[in-house]
Amino acid sequence: MSASTATASASLSDCPRPGRLRRFSQLRAYTQTLSHSSSGGHRSRNSLSSRVPWLSPSSSGPESPTLQVGNSTAPGPESDQPALSRYTSAPTASSHGLGVDTQTSSAESSRSTPPNEPTQRSTNVMARLRSASAVQGRPPRTIALARTATQEAPTSLPEPTPAATDAPESTGTIPTDAVQVTAVSANKKATIRFFPYQDTFQSSRPSLPFVPIARTLPSESSVIRVGRYSERDGIPIPNPTEPSDAPVGFKSKVVSRKHCEFIYSNGQWHIKDVGSSSGTFLNHMRLSQPNMVSRLYSIKDGDIVQLGIDFRGGEEMIFRCVRIRIECNRSWQQQPNEFNKNTESLIKNLGKGDGADYSGCRECSICLGSVLRPYQCLFMAACAHVWHYKCISRLLHQDYPMFQCPNCRAFTDLSAEVDDSNDVVENEEAKGPTEATSTNDSAEVPAGTQPAQATTTTSVEGQQPTPLEPHSEEPDFVTDVENLHLQDDNDEASGSGIDMEDGHSSDFPAPNASNDDLARSATISIPGFQPTQPLNVPAARQPHLRADTPGRSETSDDNPLTPRNDSGPLAFDGRAGMR
Amino acid sequence: MALPKRIIKETERLMAEPVPGINAVPHEDNLRYFDVSIHGPAQSPYEGGIFRLELFLPDDYPMTPPKIRFLTKIYHPNIDRLGRICLDTTGPPALQIRTILLSIQALLGAPNPDDPLANDVAQRWKDDEPAAIQTAKEWTRTHAMT
Repeated sequence: MSASTATASASLSDCPRPGRLRRFSQLRAYTQTLSHSSSGGHRSRNSLSSRVPWLSPSSSGPESPTLQVGNSTAPGPESDQPALSRYTSAPTASSHGLGVDTQTSSAESSRSTPPNEPTQRSTNVMARLRSASAVQGRPPRTIALARTATQEAPTSLPEPTPAATDAPESTGTIPTDAVQVTAVSANKKATIRFFPYQDTFQSSRPSLPFVPIARTLPSESSVIRVGRYSERDGIPIPNPTEPSDAPVGFKSKVVSRKHCEFIYSNGQWHIKDVGSSSGTFLNHMRLSQPNMVSRLYSIKDGDIVQLGIDFRGGEEMIFRCVRIRIECNRSWQQQPNEFNKNTESLIKNLGKGDGADYSGCRECSICLGSVLRPYQCLFMAACAHVWHYKCISRLLHQDYPMFQCPNCRAFTDLSAEVDDSNDVVENEEAKGPTEATSTNDSAEVPAGTQPAQATTTTSVEGQQPTPLEPHSEEPDFVTDVENLHLQDDNDEASGSGIDMEDGHSSDFPAPNASNDDLARSATISIPGFQPTQPLNVPAARQPHLRADTPGRSETSDDNPLTPRNDSGPLAFDGRAGMR
Repeated sequence: MALPKRIIKETERLMAEPVPGINAVPHEDNLRYFDVSIHGPAQSPYEGGIFRLELFLPDDYPMTPPKIRFLTKIYHPNIDRLGRICLDTTGPPALQIRTILLSIQALLGAPNPDDPLANDVAQRWKDDEPAAIQTAKEWTRTHAMT
């Protein structure tokens, strides 16, 4: 019944059926006023049957460009993503998730600027960053958007502001992205995660359930061996916190003792069947004959690996095959990127009432309602997608503690320890200049803490030598503060210099700056009147920060956009093996 | 049960911004039941055909995916004789009617015989693709162009 109070025209009545119908037709009338006026007479009629003429090619033809624009504006970035992604497997894990942020930026850039050189180039940059296969579906779309961009002006679509305000942001962020990707590849630690994969297709039997498993390789040469679970190996730790190449065991008779191996080389994960008897299937292709070792096959995020084939119909748990969804190359999502920074700013600006200039996740993908209104319970996943708590709660409890983002299919362990090391942002070069400049913008922050922060960022950047030593004596502190202020000024200058180079300045508009303030007040909780503390902060934090980085970045792979290449559910009722 | 806001919103948007080549209209007496028609994508064996489908949003939608079925006969490796569709997109609640229908339209443009629902069609598709495509065209002509 809550729905009845909701819609614009809902004031009518709450009597069940006719009221609903009436409301609905009102809605339609309402939407038609929104759709642009040139769409002709047959549209202004309200009867449902009058809609059929849209079907005919003649009427849909001329309308299509404008419709395309609407398509890309209204339902929010993630909602129409599958439209442009690859074919049958459209919204599979990676492509879907990645689409979210690639699309926001690319669509925005092409939407807000006429189809000219810079736009094309920027999308190309994006394209190069992502893997080629994922981009396949995109160019036509981008072009389509570019084409429609010119037409958008006359049509009065309900959301003109975001497109306009996004313009500087979208052009600026692409280089940032590039910086981040290189930064990621600098810290080499290969991580892979295995999740149980259940076919959504009705006719297939469930596969073996297992706890999600994560492994971070201690060294590049280590190999993750997968086979049947054995007591002799001891109790396996599914998610060791330290880097580990501990073997992975499954309690199924169809898994051989030595079944397959995962190998990481040259920034790429590979799988190899090591002579299993019932086979290893990568996206339902069998890797080798029974008891034969296969060659290496490269795997990507979202790939499905099946070990063995259901035996005796898989009725007993011990005879079920294992289906694993691979998660790797997701590190881009754990790093600051345009999308999650936007969402961060959303969260921080929630009470301030103005979401008009916000370009990230504005809509709850479950109820399609706005998440921008303050004073409502929200849930934000690690991938920075946001929903109303009420809407997402069922998914949260469904497989607790594992949570799969319905938007991008990223898995999160909700019971994982809280990471309260609060300086993620500072090891990232892109953030440095902004921090510095924004600090200066806001004069309200206590004087002691502020410069300390600025120096931290610069020292990380290596922009200038940091004369700052941890001091504990009062007089020194005073001079230090003076130094710091000087430095701060320099910093501002150099910061803006960097901005020019990297094109960062444009991607942090006013709202983000104010967030940085917030972030800072969170990081440094000490008021400026405790002299020793703020000065110790940078020195103390730095090593900790360094130590923190490797664990955080998942892989060194440059190809964040590696969608799975299969296109549909696996048909695993034995047919797969016979083929 | 009142119609969830989400369904109202989605319908509203489908009306306001229809997807080119896809048409979805709710029944007057059951707003969870949609008559859908999809134009066969260009350069596919289904080009020129208009395929009718039915789409039903279960009570639990969007937590459970919509039920979709082809009403028009179609020769396609991923669509069986009853019109059921082999699509793994019908999962997470973040997908909307619009996106699912787009996926189906894309599936028409890219049949995937490696992941069949109609085994005989898929086998034919693998063995003799030109012939299979020819059959698909004929079926399109006889069933989807009226």
